[in-house]
Amino acid sequence: MGKSNETFANEAKTRFDESVDKLDAATLSTLNQARHRALDGLHGRRSRWLTWAPAAGVTAAVVVAVMMASPSQVDTLPTELTDMEILLGEDSIEMLEDLEFYSLVGMLEEESDVG
Amino acid sequence: MNVESASFAVSWVSEQSTGTRALQKEQQLNRFLAEVERRALRIAEISVRDRDEALDLVQDAMIKLVGKYSDRDREEWPPLFYRILQNGVRDWHRRAAVRNRVMVWFGRATPDGEEYDAVAAAPDPFGRSPDEELSNDEAMISLEAAVHGLPARQREAFMLRTFEGLDVAGTAVAMGCSEGSVKTHYSRAIHSLRETLGEHYG
Repeated sequence: MGKSNETFANEAKTRFDESVDKLDAATLSTLNQARHRALDGLHGRRSRWLTWAPAAGVTAAVVVAVMMASPSQVDTLPTELTDMEILLGEDSIEMLEDLEFYSLVGMLEEESDVG
Repeated sequence: MNVESASFAVSWVSEQSTGTRALQKEQQLNRFLAEVERRALRIAEISVRDRDEALDLVQDAMIKLVGKYSDRDREEWPPLFYRILQNGVRDWHRRAAVRNRVMVWFGRATPDGEEYDAVAAAPDPFGRSPDEELSNDEAMISLEAAVHGLPARQREAFMLRTFEGLDVAGTAVAMGCSEGSVKTHYSRAIHSLRETLGEHYG
């Protein structure tokens, strides 16, 4: 009985496949159109996503432009560090200790230039 | 290259990659639907006995598969597609039953008391005479009629297993039932069809 069932199913499948192969051109064309219509839905979903892409790009560009135009921490930090290095360097402390001497030397140089 | 530029470049490359994947997915879907659409049409047509209605059902199934399940793996599509299609066929039969009840209400029931079947009463869509049908493909016509005459669940199990070639697990997903139920429906369908078509098959 099992073998007969299998034979029957195979025979039915063969008949069915023959009927599929005999589908007329108009029906195949309609199926083709239906498939592309369905896939258009996929395009629609993606195009909706793409409509937001330019807006996201513009937003990103504006953010980048604003960050570049305004002084950022990255730009100012080295300058501040340089000033601190000068102020806290050993030579600078010595200079601060002899500040009166250097002021006097400066005044004398100015007087000699004027004279 | 500063941090912003690097981030933008990574984002652009990521979008390109996403676009490529989407295109590949679309090509996969196109191939799958092209491969399955003709058999699906015939299966739907045997169920509803009307080609135009079957075309609508197949198109609806395609649209829903693409809309809801395009992100799933390729292997999952066949049972999901046929589940959508079978649900569409069941809805179609429910609507037809309501339509028939309305027709009975308006006095269009058949004389022997059976419900008026507008589809059965319509002329053959291909304009074939009974003689042409017999000479053209008697075996398939007999099979089609016999399959259509099966109870709905047996018909689904038989067509999905035999015509579409889904395995038991895939048929269970498509039918929304257990694998045991699929085996039972399929077995009963085979026995019923063999009794009806014994002289033509196997």
